[in-house]
Amino acid sequence: MKGILVKDLYIARSNILVTIVSLVVLGFGLSFLLETSALLVLAPVASTTAVFISITSDAASKWNKNVITMPLSRSRIIGEKFLFYILLALLGMLTALIPCIILACFGLDITPHSLCLYGSMGISSCLLAGGISLPCAYLFDPEKSQIVFMMSFMASTGIIAGLVLLTNLLFPVKENILLAFYIVLIISVIWFFISYRIAVRIYGKRDIT
Amino acid sequence: MTNAFMVSGLTKNYKDFALDHVSFTVPRGSIVGLIGENGAGKSTTINAALGLIQKEDGVVSILGREELDGDVKEQIGVVFDGSNYPEILSPKKLNQVMKNIYRTWDEQTYFNLLRRFSLPAHKQIKQFSRGMKMKLAISVAFSHHSRLLILDEATSGLDPVVRDDILDMLLDFVQDKEHSILVSSHITSDLEKIADDIVFIHEGKVVFEKPKEELTERYGIIKCGGAQFDALDQSEAIAYRKTGHEWQVLVSDREKMQKKYPNALVLPATIDEIMLLYVKGEQ
Repeated sequence: MKGILVKDLYIARSNILVTIVSLVVLGFGLSFLLETSALLVLAPVASTTAVFISITSDAASKWNKNVITMPLSRSRIIGEKFLFYILLALLGMLTALIPCIILACFGLDITPHSLCLYGSMGISSCLLAGGISLPCAYLFDPEKSQIVFMMSFMASTGIIAGLVLLTNLLFPVKENILLAFYIVLIISVIWFFISYRIAVRIYGKRDIT
Repeated sequence: MTNAFMVSGLTKNYKDFALDHVSFTVPRGSIVGLIGENGAGKSTTINAALGLIQKEDGVVSILGREELDGDVKEQIGVVFDGSNYPEILSPKKLNQVMKNIYRTWDEQTYFNLLRRFSLPAHKQIKQFSRGMKMKLAISVAFSHHSRLLILDEATSGLDPVVRDDILDMLLDFVQDKEHSILVSSHITSDLEKIADDIVFIHEGKVVFEKPKEELTERYGIIKCGGAQFDALDQSEAIAYRKTGHEWQVLVSDREKMQKKYPNALVLPATIDEIMLLYVKGEQ
């Protein structure tokens, strides 16, 4: 699996670098307008676009056909894409924390509460979107996959809103907002894992030509 | 294990095409050429054998194993038509990728082959010509101590000089009796140079599997006029066709036919001509 992860890092390297620099610049820029920790909502989503660059590149170069002949199982090939997605989401998160920590050192009011809240929102949104778009990348052609990828972020926002409203039936979300988003985060993690299993099943039976 | 590769009763159905119980073998230490016109089923056979497409029936055995697991794949080098590597990579970066995929990856062999083929290690693959991409794919296939090479139209579209280089490498490869090659191509002249056996596939079915020597040394084509054609014993003809005023008749023993019909012009048959008569002629 390490080999294909190295390949994806080579493919997405420039995109990853641009995303990191943009997030840091945006983080400092945002501090004049709104809470810098809000960047944690955007960061994982922005950084995972590199996965779709690698998926598009794989399709264009017919790497998908080549890799099947290598000593890797189909579930490992899929697993690598999901792992790459999570690694990029975490990288985005860590990058967004850099301006937050620096600005906090300079006395800006960045609380652990807001970091946890926006962080769980960002990761939940990212996992829900990835859970929709990653299996679809192996179902549809690259053009359709990119449309699904863009739509999946809108869908994830709707799903989060729906989950929060449902949680509100159990307890008042306004007083327990962090708990509500932790529940959303747990559901997102479970959904991402189920999505991985679905993608393995789809890819396992798919003819690759 | 006497066969490096074996397919038996391989079947796959599509809407407009079917691979119909394809069976043949690649004996250990030999080169087998898989020939057939475009769309005959050569690539489908290879794809089904390698697990790229799901077979509906049949058995595939590679290096004595029916299950195509990582250990078997480690020992197979596959080259498709085109390089099929991310074009943003350079051969040097590809080395970093491959050494983390193949346990038996041999960096020294890889870089030696890059030098032998004059491939720049730091240049992106997208800047390579088609010939260079094919040489790179072959370098990769040779760099993890493969025991079986499978080449699917790997020499198509290459100039004769590059093709000749590659054919020489393939011949060197089978000097080791543990090594075997299955090569599909519609450039039959390449296979005439290197193949030990020829498998001819047509409309998804294996028409014949024969030693190349038998085809080139024994098969023949009788070229004759209408009257002479009428006088021939039709049961001895494998296939025949009329081109202009001339009849061409494919026979399996040209010396016997020359003795039987001393006035007939019986010529050796090339694999191209044999394929053409099977496909376009009547049987």
